[in-house]
Order: sequence, then structure tokens, then C-alpha cells
Amino acid sequence: MRKRVSAIRSFIIFCGPTSLFFLTVILIPFLFGIYLTFTNWNGISATGFGFSGLDNYRVVIADKVFWKSFWLTLRFVFFTVLFTNTVAFFLAYALTSGVRGQNTLRAGFFTPNLVGGIILGLIWNFLFGNVFTFIGKSLGLDLLSISMLSKPETAFWALVIVSVWQYSGYMMVIYIAGFTNMPNDVMEAASIDGATKGKRLTKIIIPLMVPSFIICVFLTLQRSFMVYDVNLALTNGGPFKTTQLISMHVYEKAFLAQDFAVGQAEAVFLFLIVALVTITQLYFSKKLEAEA
Amino acid sequence: MKKGRILSMVLVIMMLSTLFGAAAVAESVEQITFLNSKGEIQAQLEEAAKVFNAENAGISVEIIPCPAGKSPFEVMSTMYNSGNAPTLAMVDAGDVVRLTEKFVPLNDENWVADAASGSLDSVTIDGNVYAFPFAVEGFGFIYNKQVLDEAFGGAFDPSTITTRAALQDAFDKVVASGKQALIITPMDWSLGAHMFSTMYLAIGQGDQAAYDALFSSLRAGTMDLAANPVFQGWLETFDLLREYNSAKADALSITYEKGPELLGKGDVGFWYMGNWAWPQIAEFDTADEAYGFVPYVLSDNADDYGNKDVVAFGSKYVALDGSQNTEAQQAAGKAFLNWLVYEASGQDTLVNKANLIPAFTNIELDIADPLGRSIVAHIADGTTIPAIDNFAVMPADHWSVVGASLQKYLAGYADAATLAQEIQDYWTTAK
Repeated sequence: MRKRVSAIRSFIIFCGPTSLFFLTVILIPFLFGIYLTFTNWNGISATGFGFSGLDNYRVVIADKVFWKSFWLTLRFVFFTVLFTNTVAFFLAYALTSGVRGQNTLRAGFFTPNLVGGIILGLIWNFLFGNVFTFIGKSLGLDLLSISMLSKPETAFWALVIVSVWQYSGYMMVIYIAGFTNMPNDVMEAASIDGATKGKRLTKIIIPLMVPSFIICVFLTLQRSFMVYDVNLALTNGGPFKTTQLISMHVYEKAFLAQDFAVGQAEAVFLFLIVALVTITQLYFSKKLEAEA
Repeated sequence: MKKGRILSMVLVIMMLSTLFGAAAVAESVEQITFLNSKGEIQAQLEEAAKVFNAENAGISVEIIPCPAGKSPFEVMSTMYNSGNAPTLAMVDAGDVVRLTEKFVPLNDENWVADAASGSLDSVTIDGNVYAFPFAVEGFGFIYNKQVLDEAFGGAFDPSTITTRAALQDAFDKVVASGKQALIITPMDWSLGAHMFSTMYLAIGQGDQAAYDALFSSLRAGTMDLAANPVFQGWLETFDLLREYNSAKADALSITYEKGPELLGKGDVGFWYMGNWAWPQIAEFDTADEAYGFVPYVLSDNADDYGNKDVVAFGSKYVALDGSQNTEAQQAAGKAFLNWLVYEASGQDTLVNKANLIPAFTNIELDIADPLGRSIVAHIADGTTIPAIDNFAVMPADHWSVVGASLQKYLAGYADAATLAQEIQDYWTTAK
């Protein structure tokens, strides 16, 4: 009994504050948010707050723009995760091989991650809109003289490029940690056995790096599903809403169209999708890790 | 052990007292807040609040900015839900109408009688005035007089631009003089909220019943826009702009900042924008401050609705919260509004500091900037039409969705039929 009381006391002392904050800042708002999706609340009003059952979810399912935005986000996530991890992995590979000035280079590649998304978006907006077009016009290159941001397809790729550029430095650091933890004896044994560089990469390094891949893919997945700041500052959803990712759509639904409850329902939907995707990813990659 | 415990308790008490201390301090001064959604005059308003606080000992006004890129509605919802509603909230007319349950009718205020005609229409519901008109703004094609004088080989008379043919002729003359005719800055709010609203205005011709019929048929999906002569006329003018646009090759790459630069430097003759753009144009001005407005013409008949008129409207309304602010705070809020209209320092803020056209007839200060003067002259001549908000509450995301459709058309990704269809589709699902 005494032991029990003391356990509870230690829990309250050590975890109490965090649990309280978690409860009030994350859990309760989350549950309240789900509750709001079954109402027709407009975000401010105190009256006209009635239950509407599943109406909001019906609206979401019928909302063509939402689905367009959803597929666009899936496409964006696919390419961002793929390219970020490829770039980050090879950067880490190159920067652990002992090239000259590798510490400076590591810091350089990591820097974009320290710049906030909004500022980064504005910088690239200026680059795409003014600098590249200026170079293109000066050199008479048609390809460069039209801003990438003014065409739907190229604007999408501009978004991917900037996101990859932003995240790959961060992921690189995680991969570098993976490389540094790589047991030297295994590599030595492999080279004594006559494994070529390529063989060592595919048969030894990549399998041993699986834990790093799991973390990085998880982080990039979750981040690119939720991306908003770069989207806002770089393209602002344009040209004509063709690069409006899902977070931005949810925001516009709730606060611009002032359709608060529908926006909230879309956010809940987004939560379910992200949870599903990341849990699946963790589950399958854990299996991979066990094999390796 | 004991010492450590006492120390930690002291620390906890210190932390708690700093947390709640601020709220516990007794206040003899009435604290009120003003939510500002006109980011460009934040500094001027903060300055005005200082002056007001110094002149009014019992009141302290704090100006709360609405950050760029955030909707005022979002900031409002945060403030209301945290029990911290702004005493005065500067919002758009539509938001006032949607939130009347929170606001106090202001019918008994002196300034109601002094408000410019029409400036209260969009915020008057069932005879109750729910907000204070913060400024009058106007928009149309801004012209650079120097460029046009040169193109016309003499003094350019803006009142001759009353038909599409006259507008095209002016464009041609500017082009012949070696300059570009115009620049279209394709922001969704400029295209969707300003340019396109002229179309709705011209369909209803200023008649309330006609607007009611128009918007209910749009919502019901029974309106065939593509077959409407006013829409066709509007689009024909838009085609003309598209054709003469100096950024035609890459129309959507143009940002707002490009407009004042090209117009001010005299690279183009016209720019479609409003009088709020003056501070930016002034930075590039090469025409000795000679600028003015011509209307968005919709047809080749000078007598058709809107062909002689620029749009002038009450822009941004300040509403007084009655749900979370005490009587004393409400009184202080009213005092601040009265100060803006009737006190010399308040008027100075509106006209000289913030460069606004006041919506009150009792203010006699001269407008300093040429665009404001041009709008005032149009108002004096009776050649203005009001904004569509005076006749109908526009859905909150109208400008954004219709603006996107217009961008698509402007850049050649959609034809006229698609444009009309997209706008019709939007209306059937609009809230």
C-alpha cells in the first residue's frame, strides 16, 4: 500500500506536469476537435451551435477540391520522401568518406534546416521569380526566362525542390550518425574478402543503415504531409490553386471560407491518413530491421 | 533536504506569482484592444494609440496586428474563444454581417450622421448600424499622366475613357509612343474581389432587387453566365487587358511589387489597382505625382452602367464587441472611434498619417496623395459606383476561388466557357 502511494507520488512529481500539459494542450483539444466535427459551429459564434451528425464528413467526401488537394499531397509526399532521403543518404556517404573540408560542407548543407520555412519560401520565391528569370532573359534561354512558379506543373516541382533542399540537410545528419556508428571490422572484413565499393554499399552499408532509414523516412513522411509554411510563402497555392497542399486547403476551408466544422473534419481525416501511413511504415520497416 | 524543499517551494511560488501577477494588478485605467487588419498602417495606428492614450487619461488602447497571410477571421476566432475578444475589430463588411450577434449596434453615435452617403449600407442590418467605416477606398485603372500626355501628344483627359474602344485607343497610343500599355498584377484578391465585382455591379445596375435575384439565381445554379451580355462585355474588356498586358508571356509571374515600379517609372501607362497603392508608387514616381483613375469599362456604349465610374467603397469596418467587453470598455471603444472622427489629432491620424480617405463628411483636411485626390474628385463628380458588398454579402472565400479561376483564364489555361462554368460551379457550393 505504502509502495503504491509512493509510486503514485513519484509519478505525479515526475510525470505530472508533462501529463497535465499533454492533456490540456494536446489531448483535450484533439478530442474537442473531433467533437466539433459533428456540429455546425462556425468558429466564433456562441449560438447556432447544433449537432449535425455526419453532415460535415459528407461534405468532405463530396468536396472535389479536397480530393484534388489530397492526391496532390500524396504525389508531393512521394517525391519529397524519395528525393530527400536519396540526396541526404548520398550527401552523408560523401561527407563521411573523408573529403577535404567535410565539416564545413556538413554545416553548409544543414543550414537550410535552420532557416524558417516562411523565410526560405520567400527567398526561393525571389530566386525562381526574379533571379532565374533574369539569368534566363540575359542569356536568351527560353527555359529559364519563364518563372517556374507561374506554371502548374513546374510550380509543383519548385515546391518539391525547395522541400528537398530544406530537409535533406537534417536527414543527412541522421545518416551521418548512422555511418559513424557503422562497425569498422565488418567493412574491413568485406574489403579483405574483395568486395567492390558498389557491393559494399548495397550488401553491407545499406542493410546496416536500416535504422537510420526508418527514422528519416518517418520524419520526412510526417513533415511533408503537414507542410504549410513553405507552401504558403513559395507558391501560396498558386498558380490558381494548383499547388495547394492539404494543410493549406484545411486552413482555407476553416478560416477563409469560414466553414469551420468542415475544415475541422478535413483535419481529422488528414490525421487519420498520416497516422495510418506512418504506423504502416514503422511496422513494416521494423520487420526489415529484424531481418538485417 | 529541508532546505531544498523550502527553496523549491519558493521557486514555485515565484513562478506562479509571475504567471498570475499580471492579471492581479488592480487597474484604474480602462484597457481596450483594437484588432487591426490593415497591416500597412500598423505603425501609424500604434502612434495614434499613444496620442489617444495621452489625451484620454482613463483609457488605454492597444493595437493588435493581424499578421500578413492570416485571415482576420482566424485571429478573431482565437481571441473570442480565449475569452479575450478585441473591443474594436477592424474587419471586412461581410464579417460584420456574419457576426452581428457579437457586436453592439452603434446607431446613437454622432458619426453615423456624418458618415459619407452609402458608406454604412453594407453594415446596416434591419436599421442597425453595426460598424464604423474606417476609410473610403477606390479602384480602377491608375494611369501615369506623363506617359499618357506623351502618347496623346497633349493633355490626356481621363473623362474620355468611357468606352472599350476609347480604352483600346489609349492603349494603342501608349504602345505607339514606345511604352507598354498596362500591367496586370494577377493577385487573386485584385482579380476576384475588385475587377470581377464590377461585373456583378453592372448586372444589377444599382438596383437592390436585381442583385438579390442575381445572387439567388447564381446560388441556385440557374444563371447562365456565359450567355449574359454584361458578363460577355466584362470578359471582352478582360480579353483586351490580356492582349495588351506587358507581362503577357508570363502573366502569372508578376507580383504586386512589380505594379508600382512599372507604373511609377513610366514603363507602362496603366495599372489596375486602388488608391492604397500610392506609398509604393511614390517610391518610383517619375511623373511629378500626376496620376489618376479611369473606369473598368464594360461596353462600347458610354452611357452603360459603370462606364464613367470608378468603384469607391467603405473599406474595412470597425465593429464594437458587446459579448466579452464590459460596459466601460465599450464606452472607451466608442470614445476612440469618436476621437478619430472629431478630434484634430484623430483626423490627422486618418488623413495625414495613414493616408486614408476618411468616410466622414465633417473632416475637411486635404488629401495629400494624387490617387486619393482622384477618388475624392470622382466622388464629388458623382462618377463612382459602390462596392458589391453594399448590395450583397459575398461568400468569404469568393475572391480567392473566383480569383484563381481568373488567373487560370488570364494565363490561357482555360477558355471563356470554362471560366463561366467554374464561377457558376463555385456559387452553387458557396456558403
